[in-house]
Amino acid sequence: MASKTAAAKDIITLHGSAAIVSEFFCYAANSILYNRAVYPEESFVKVKKYGLPMLLIEDESVKSFMSNLTSQISEWLEAGKLQRVVLVIMSKATGEVLERWNFRIETDTEVVDKGVPREKSDKEIMREIQAIMRQVASSVTYLPCLDETCVFDVLAYTDTDVAVPFTWVDSDPKLIANPQMVKLHGFDTKIHKVDTLVSYKNDEWDEEE
Amino acid sequence: MILRSPPPKRLKSDAGGSPISANASGSGNQLVIYEDSPLPAPAPLQTSNDQSDQHLCTYQCRQMVKADVLDAFSKAEKQVQEYQTQLQTLNANFSEADAERKQLRDNLLYSKQELAAAKGREKMLQEQLLTEINNSQERYTKELQSCHELEVKLQNEMNLRKKAESSAATAEEKAKLLEDKLTQLSGSVDREKKRLNNDIAQLGKEAKLSVSRIGADLERMQCRAQNAETESNLLRSQLEHLKLKFDECLQEKTEVDKKLSSFTSQTASSSDNSVLIKHLQEEVKSYEAEVREARKLKSRHVDAELLKVKLLEENSRRERAESELSKMHELQLSMEMLNNELSSWKSLLNDIPGVSCPDDIVMKVSTLQNEVVQSSMKIEEANTRFKQLEVALEATQLGRQSAETEAALAKEKSEALKTDVKRIEVMLSLVTEEKEQLKAVVNELRKSTSEGSVPGAGATDGTLIQEFESSLAKKENYLKDLENDLSQLKDVNNRLRSEIELLNEKLVDEARRNKSLERDSDRLRSEISLLESKLGHGDYSAANTRVLRMVNTLGVENEAKQTIEALQAELQKAKERLQAVEELKNQSGDAGKLVDSHITGKIAQLKEQIATLEKREERYKTVFADRISVFRRACCELFGYKIVMDEHQRPNGIPVTRFTLQSIYAQNDDEKLEFEYESGNTSILNNGYASQGEIAKQIEIFIRKFNSIPAFTANLTMESFNRRTLY
Repeated sequence: MASKTAAAKDIITLHGSAAIVSEFFCYAANSILYNRAVYPEESFVKVKKYGLPMLLIEDESVKSFMSNLTSQISEWLEAGKLQRVVLVIMSKATGEVLERWNFRIETDTEVVDKGVPREKSDKEIMREIQAIMRQVASSVTYLPCLDETCVFDVLAYTDTDVAVPFTWVDSDPKLIANPQMVKLHGFDTKIHKVDTLVSYKNDEWDEEE
Repeated sequence: MILRSPPPKRLKSDAGGSPISANASGSGNQLVIYEDSPLPAPAPLQTSNDQSDQHLCTYQCRQMVKADVLDAFSKAEKQVQEYQTQLQTLNANFSEADAERKQLRDNLLYSKQELAAAKGREKMLQEQLLTEINNSQERYTKELQSCHELEVKLQNEMNLRKKAESSAATAEEKAKLLEDKLTQLSGSVDREKKRLNNDIAQLGKEAKLSVSRIGADLERMQCRAQNAETESNLLRSQLEHLKLKFDECLQEKTEVDKKLSSFTSQTASSSDNSVLIKHLQEEVKSYEAEVREARKLKSRHVDAELLKVKLLEENSRRERAESELSKMHELQLSMEMLNNELSSWKSLLNDIPGVSCPDDIVMKVSTLQNEVVQSSMKIEEANTRFKQLEVALEATQLGRQSAETEAALAKEKSEALKTDVKRIEVMLSLVTEEKEQLKAVVNELRKSTSEGSVPGAGATDGTLIQEFESSLAKKENYLKDLENDLSQLKDVNNRLRSEIELLNEKLVDEARRNKSLERDSDRLRSEISLLESKLGHGDYSAANTRVLRMVNTLGVENEAKQTIEALQAELQKAKERLQAVEELKNQSGDAGKLVDSHITGKIAQLKEQIATLEKREERYKTVFADRISVFRRACCELFGYKIVMDEHQRPNGIPVTRFTLQSIYAQNDDEKLEFEYESGNTSILNNGYASQGEIAKQIEIFIRKFNSIPAFTANLTMESFNRRTLY
């Protein structure tokens, strides 16, 4: 899908890179929802991806939401209009933003304008994504516990001249005041470079200390 | 040569003079030795030979001559001894000079070695200096470039700072203008409030009047109702009385009828009977009239009860109208407040540039806030950069000090070389002095050898002298070479000194630039950390970036439905209120008009909201329908089955989803598969087609055994395709 085996390295096109990134976001979002217990464990099913056992949610409404989201993200990535994707976890009762999972995207404009392909090994990309998924799973050790019922939302930072479908509306950035930030690994397809960062609200215990 | 004849004796004075003269001549000519072999006599000897020829001496003369010769010989011997001692001293001096020459030669060699070492060191130093110069030149060029870039950046930052300051000033001015406008608006709002309060007071008075009118009407109605009640009571009592009478009349009528029947059976007829009959008929008529009156009374009673009901209804309406009047007051106030706010905001919107609708205000305020924040941050950044530049200056000073120390070290080295050079010069001067002394000695020796006549010693002395002269010449050559080397070294030292000074200056500049670069790197690191923190925080530039979120369609649909239902309920309530108000309006006159206008306005707004929500719902439905149809068509084309989804309910009340699949290669409409889906589990249902032999076998194998519905459907598709195409 994304690559054809060439003589030495794998050739990656814009379409393929967009598919890789959008797929990564889907799996990363599912992993975050599972690890942060936004949905109960029994709502998830185990699948094999990136050489790791990944968890995907089975709820049809969330699945359809994710599929629509990833398709739109893929479209924007191919157009080179997407700057960032943020997964926000909020308290259901108060609406307060508790965590922001920030996926910053840098696009090679030459590829978007001229359509030239790039070369990178698929295995290396998979290894990089694997490292990110491991870090997401291990983030449980330092992120504060979410004791209350939470909901999630996804924000897309795009260029101002992007064509907005009617299923998307303008939104505020849903920032956290005085957050703690932890930078995670990133991955690079030579066309799209993705950096991951999580910012979270200071735990009350930490503030007291 | 012995004079053959002594010279003639002269007077004592003359004789004294002659031998003196002879002695003088002899002494002047030194010792004249008799030799048989002719010798090249000097010119005065020829004259003396002439004189000897003249002078023929006697024995006395010979003795005298012998004595004279002996004296001269002794003197010559003494002179020879002196000369020998002088030679010895000269030889000693020569040996000393030779030793000194050797020493000098050793010193020369040593100095040569030192010179060579110094040359080597100088070469090394030169090479080091050259490499350092090259490196410093490279660094210099790089730092020049970086300086240019930094200067450009500084200018840009200064411009940005100025722009930020100007924008901050404009924003402040705008804020001040807005504040002024706000104060003006608040004044106008207060005035309008007062006016509205007056209007409300008037409306209240009017409402009171209307209420009093309604109360009066109600009282009238109450009086009417009371009258109707009293009438109804009276009528009731009359009705009861009439009922009683009616019953009595009926009883009498039955008795009369009985009597009449008895009378008709009897043949006797009398006038009394006819009178009775007439009387009875009259009574029946009166009773009938009373019955009619009773019926009328009954109908009136019914009317009275109806009137009571109406009265109660009107009372309830009155109460409702009063409550709604109070609510209407509140609604009026709120509507007026809203209208005032709307008008004020509209006027504000007109005043604020770049804003056309209320939604733009939020964006405008957010953009202004962002601009203010950005400008303040830029100002802070510029301040940090200035502080960093100051730190860089201090760092360059430290670098300059280090460069100065290095220059001092180089100077010390050069001074050491200078001292070496001076030492060598001193040695050279000493050597030249000795050379001159030796030259003088050699010249003296030459002179002495030229006056005396000791051929053997003179020959050896001559060779020695020649050797000494050759060695001296060599030494002179060496000295000349050393002097040339010294001059070259001096030139080199001067050049090195000038280069060192230049390098020092360059080092100072480069140290400064290094420090500025370090500062820039620190600043860039801090900027990077700031930017990373901003990115992590989620900040963005509204000029380049837009934040979008996907509308959760399922939630929106539910919310839309809920809002629609709520709005519909509100609409019904409003309609009921409107009806009540209309009834009140019919009863009261003018007071209802005002109420109507506000209610209609609110109702219009609610209707508009409902219309927009309904449009949105229809749009969603059309979009979903399109999507679903596209999905269904795609599924049919991709997998080869038309899928129909239905919702069913089991007998136990559990809802299940039923899917009916029909292959596109099916030969008739009966070839349908039915599946039931419940909470993630799909099961096949038995129907006519599924219970056929081959299909049942396939179901047994693929679904029951291997638990794979896709394999079953794929196999069925292939079989039906083959049947269609091949058969």
